[in-house]
Amino acid sequence: MKTLLSLIAIAGIATQISSAQEFKVGAPVADFSLRETTGRAVNYSDLKGKVTVVVFIATQCPVSNAYNERMNELYGAFAGRVNFIFVNSNATESAENVREHARKVGFVFPVYKDPNNVVADRFGAQSTPETYVMDSSGVMRYHGYIDDSQTPSRVSKRGLALAIQAVLDGKAVEKPETRAFGCTIKRARHAG
Amino acid sequence: MMRLPSLYFVLCAVAVAPAVQPRLDAQPRLDARLVPVNEAAYAKLVAGHKGKVLLVDFWATWCEPCRAEMPLLVKLEQKLRARGFELITVSADEPEQEAAAAKVLKDDGVAGPVYLKKAADDDKFIGAIDAKWGGALPALFLYDRNGKKVRSFIGETPVKELEAAIEKFF
Repeated sequence: MKTLLSLIAIAGIATQISSAQEFKVGAPVADFSLRETTGRAVNYSDLKGKVTVVVFIATQCPVSNAYNERMNELYGAFAGRVNFIFVNSNATESAENVREHARKVGFVFPVYKDPNNVVADRFGAQSTPETYVMDSSGVMRYHGYIDDSQTPSRVSKRGLALAIQAVLDGKAVEKPETRAFGCTIKRARHAG
Repeated sequence: MMRLPSLYFVLCAVAVAPAVQPRLDAQPRLDARLVPVNEAAYAKLVAGHKGKVLLVDFWATWCEPCRAEMPLLVKLEQKLRARGFELITVSADEPEQEAAAAKVLKDDGVAGPVYLKKAADDDKFIGAIDAKWGGALPALFLYDRNGKKVRSFIGETPVKELEAAIEKFF
């Protein structure tokens, strides 16, 4: 039986950088589970053996939304060779919001909800959009932005696409960590 | 295919050089354009405020929590200014949004110097501000009277929490 994520909330993290980060570049990523807004679950352990990309996104963040088309293009370019897991961890955006947003903007991929931002905490994700690439053995090889500008005409560094291609080619990622600018993930607030 | 960095960024890097003189007075600059700031200019800006407790607010016109927070920060500055507190705002907007950013600052009555992030390399800029900051907004950084960064607030932060943190450094 696959290890399921604990849904135990971590108090006091609503406004600070999460201190619960487990997964880091260069180290293996342990199993985690998410549920699609339709209820279908995905366990990371089921996906190992293939390069996996995790992307934290939002429905209301203008920066995340600036990348909607680019995310569709990335998915189209790599989906056959790469697993994509698009995650919404915002406590302020319900599964219904996520479903409706995906339909409205025309996402060609499923989006998973992350109740109580458990998975965002384990990745140490701060913003949307923020991305991670794991190689086929489950080791994280890239963390950072999709590219370096929310304005397509100003992009000079395509961090995520280059990282995916490098990992697929069995090469080292030239720049394994970049800074994923955007909106902060709206974490669940808990009493106490 | 990768695009080469645009001439724009090269020009910005050059243009930033004269913008490093921090304004120590807090006179309104309501009709002014935002002063471009890169990591070197930012370091000088903070150093130029030694003697004051300084809160730097990184915000953007597209960032709703930042927009909601701004008038509250202005009130906080008005309340604490006489005790040696200053607020500086740095917009992370794209250059096309500079006029919109200036309007927000004017509408919110921001009295202090107003800046616009214009770094040749955003990664380096963000890392220079705080190694643990990924660039997500809202983000505020608190400096003590010696110009040392003493707190980072990433994400929405209640003003009461900010005020309590600031009080410790008077």
